[in-house]
Amino acid sequence: MDILLLILLLVFSAAAVFAKDILKSALSLAVASIFLAILFFRMNAPYAGVFEISVVAGLITVLFVSTIALTGTGAELKERKWTILVFPLFFIIVLILDYILIKKLTGTITNISNVIPGVGAQGLFADVLWKERTFDLIGQISIIFAGVFTVLALFRKEK
Amino acid sequence: MTDSILFNIGTVLLLISLGIYCLLTMKNLIKLFIGIEIISKGLSLGLITAGKYNSNLLIAQSLTVTFIVVEVCVVAVALALIIAVYKHTKSLDIGSLSKLKG
Repeated sequence: MDILLLILLLVFSAAAVFAKDILKSALSLAVASIFLAILFFRMNAPYAGVFEISVVAGLITVLFVSTIALTGTGAELKERKWTILVFPLFFIIVLILDYILIKKLTGTITNISNVIPGVGAQGLFADVLWKERTFDLIGQISIIFAGVFTVLALFRKEK
Repeated sequence: MTDSILFNIGTVLLLISLGIYCLLTMKNLIKLFIGIEIISKGLSLGLITAGKYNSNLLIAQSLTVTFIVVEVCVVAVALALIIAVYKHTKSLDIGSLSKLKG
C-alpha cells in the first residue's frame, strides 16, 4: 500500500513537471501533495499530514492558480522538445544511483532504528512544539511578517 | 520496516532529482517554481521518514510544520515576484530576464 502511494506521488510529480498546460501542472502538484499527506498519516504523523493537506494542497494551489489567472497560461511559451526525450535517460541514471545507494544503506538502517528514543519520542505534539522548538516559532512568525511585507511592497500602487 | 524506510529514501532521492531536472531544463517561470515545490515535497517526506525511524516523530513533525510555513511564505513572495516580472516583460520566459544584466 505504501509503495503504491509512493509510486502515485512520483507519477503525479512527474505529471506536474511535464504537463503542457500549466494549470494541469498546478493541479497535479496538489494531487501529489494529497498522496504525500496520506503517507504522513500512515506513518503516524497526523499533524504534518493536516498541514500538508490544508496548506500545501490547499493554499499553495490557490496561490498557483491565481498567479496563472493573472499572468496567462504562458501557452505562447514553448518548452524545448529534447527535455522530454532526455528525461528517460536521466531517470534511469538516477534510478541506478538510487539503487546503489540504497544497497549500501541496507545494512546500516537497522542500526539507526535501534537508537535510544530522544526528546520527541513520547508526549504531546503541542508540548514539543511550544517547549522544545520555541525559537522555531519565533522564526516562523518573523518569516510570515517578512512575507506579508514583501508581498505588500511588490503590489504597492505608485502615486 | 527496514524495507519501507529504504523505499521512502529512494522516493526522496527521485523527487529531489526530478525537481532539479525541472529547474535545469524548463523555461516557464511558474514551471521552475513547481520544480522547487517538488524538491520541498521530497525534503518533507525525508524529514518525517528520518523522524519515524529515529523514534523522534514529534520533533520531526514540528520541523515539518515549520518547513511548510516557511515554504508558504517563499511561494507567496516568489509568485508575487513572478507577477511583477510578467508585468514588466509581458512574458513568463526565464530567458527574457537576461536583459537585466549590466
